[in-house]
Amino acid sequence: MDEGSALERYFDEPIETTQADSGFLFEGDLGLQGTPQLQNSSFLSTLSQPEKDIGEDLDLSFLPDDLPEESRGNAANVTQDSGLFDADRSEDFETDSNNAMPGTSTFCPMTPMTPLAPVAESSGIIPILQNIVSTVNLACPLDLKSIALQARNAEYNPKRFAAVIMRIREPRTTALIFSSGKMVCTGAKSEDQSRLAARKYARVVQKLGFPAKFLDFKIQNMVGSCDVCFPIRLEGLVLTHQQFSSYEPELFPGLIYRMVKPRIVLLIFVSGKVVLTGAKERGEIYEAFENIYPILKGFRKQ
Amino acid sequence: MAAVGLKCPECGSLDIVDDEHYSQPQLVCADCGAVVSEGLLTTTRSEELQGTDVRYSNSTEVNKQPCRNQIKGIHRVRALCRILRLSFVMEETAENYFKQAYEHPSFIRVSLQKKEVLAGCCILATCRQHSWPITMGTMTCLLEANPKLMGVVYQEMVKALKIEAPPTSVIDLLETHCQAYKLSPQHVHEELSESSKDLTKRAAVLLELAADAWLVTGRQPVPILTASIYLAWQSLKPTQTRLKYTLARFCQMAKVAKSSIAPKRVTELKEVLCKLGQELPWLRGSEMTPQTVVQMVDDILNYRLTLLRKALKSHEAALASESELPPSLEDTQPGPRDDAPSLDATASQPDAESAQQPQQDVDLTCTVVMGGLSRAGSGQVSTPSKRSLFEPPSVTHAKIRRVQLPVKEVTGDEEISDSEIDSYIRTPQEMRDYAEAKEALSSSEEEF
Repeated sequence: MDEGSALERYFDEPIETTQADSGFLFEGDLGLQGTPQLQNSSFLSTLSQPEKDIGEDLDLSFLPDDLPEESRGNAANVTQDSGLFDADRSEDFETDSNNAMPGTSTFCPMTPMTPLAPVAESSGIIPILQNIVSTVNLACPLDLKSIALQARNAEYNPKRFAAVIMRIREPRTTALIFSSGKMVCTGAKSEDQSRLAARKYARVVQKLGFPAKFLDFKIQNMVGSCDVCFPIRLEGLVLTHQQFSSYEPELFPGLIYRMVKPRIVLLIFVSGKVVLTGAKERGEIYEAFENIYPILKGFRKQ
Repeated sequence: MAAVGLKCPECGSLDIVDDEHYSQPQLVCADCGAVVSEGLLTTTRSEELQGTDVRYSNSTEVNKQPCRNQIKGIHRVRALCRILRLSFVMEETAENYFKQAYEHPSFIRVSLQKKEVLAGCCILATCRQHSWPITMGTMTCLLEANPKLMGVVYQEMVKALKIEAPPTSVIDLLETHCQAYKLSPQHVHEELSESSKDLTKRAAVLLELAADAWLVTGRQPVPILTASIYLAWQSLKPTQTRLKYTLARFCQMAKVAKSSIAPKRVTELKEVLCKLGQELPWLRGSEMTPQTVVQMVDDILNYRLTLLRKALKSHEAALASESELPPSLEDTQPGPRDDAPSLDATASQPDAESAQQPQQDVDLTCTVVMGGLSRAGSGQVSTPSKRSLFEPPSVTHAKIRRVQLPVKEVTGDEEISDSEIDSYIRTPQEMRDYAEAKEALSSSEEEF
């Protein structure tokens, strides 16, 4: 079968040469070509090993035709944490991922998409969500002065900021309510809490006499944090991952790592604490941490 | 009257007047009307003294010449390069960066202040690429700019131009920093003077030790440089006069800026030296305190590899004994002392060892300690002793976080009770009180 032999050929060649052949588009400097081996040697070896073994042992002829694209997409996903990006591949990958895992529970960390290969050497640490920022449209113009007069938990200082700042106790959140009817809700620790809090604010505004609706609730940003429990040599990390990291001890004590896939910003500190921000979905935070953990771990032993 | 000494070529009179013919300036003889000289009907861009209605960047000029601010900026770049005595190649690179950055869409319309800082940032990036050690603080001082603004502009510039400028390591900065200290015999008393070379050498070893002990990562570089130079100076000739000098007095004498953070670094560095100095066999059981450690720094630095190994071993033994029997660390003390006879044999070749890289040694023995910890049974020590001998201070002095409330599981679509919402709305009486209070407040404000 053509797909089967293509799959075996793919596993026989080392990942680096397939990269060069397929001509992935770069996002970043051309100097990237040399370094992926360095960066990902530990990560790739752990992740590509199980796939290689499975390729040899199992007879894959019974598998559906779209599996090779999925595996290739997965391998592309594996190498993509070094910043390589291929628009075509990622499209295939996303459609297949939608088919492969239909009902992902929000509490389950995202795992790579091959159903056959188990996740090799997961870190065992799950980042905890610390803050969710969401927006919702109440779809009616609001009189901020009357809201500030009638509500106990509201503050309004038009000279300083053109919105009412309202807080509720449960879930402990803060909302910025603008006169156009748009609202920003911050401080929740989970997506559902944020949605519940936004609904409570909308209900308060309704009770104050405005025909508030609840349209276009969207989560704009999620922040998570965790601790890898070992100290990290930031000076070394910035030298090997120059394209993504920015470490200026005179400005900020942590290293700012801008991961390309998923598009997350990580703040890495010398104590081993990591803050992840910029996610629109919980899975992006978990995925980003799973990507950075081997880098940090491989770094610690050097 | 026009310029003195002008004579009309026609009639020879000296009465030449400034006149304008449809906004064209002319010099005309008042007697015969001959035009002596004419000005130009239009002005060139560089002659225009007042601003135009249309911004130069929005104008229709095809080959845009560099605008005045860009020319000024390039001059500033050149001047700073001369002050810093950079090579010609570096000067050219910096100018190129500045031209590229200035014309980049994210910088063409920023404030003049930012454009001034941009000049310094280009030079900083060039210096880093050519491994020329300079701190951002120095550049900020040269430009007399706001340090935060400097940081913002630098990061934006690096992102916009997509250049890679690896940050300078602290050890490279040491030599240039050391030269600022005026400690030669002509500046200070002979007993207090020290040559820059010796000072740099000793301070470099101390700095390496500090870096291994996690005192440098994530922190401002200048205070740790000051601290290591101060301790180097004290330990090179640990006489009473030198030991009596506090850091503040030392900075005053050496004509170097004081810093409030440097004393903390001195304390931390002394603690690290104490931990190593504790293992010196010729201490014979007496305590090593931060006060007494300075005299022993010479020995500690010479035999630091051996001392490090011994310190890690005794730390491991301390951890093991701590988890087996609750605190009785006296048992572990004789351990290192027994090693004393064997150490004399190894101590005779310290120079060969100290020539090796300490980096690998530290990391090797760290894994030994971690192994020891897992053997001893992880997480069962009642007192939170250190997992390894050296840890970043942010780990040792961890912030006490306020207790996190457990995250409640909600679905987001639950029923919201009316009573809860009513609790957030004022009663009519409250509203009246609030309105009255606000009026009273605003009227009293008007009075003042």
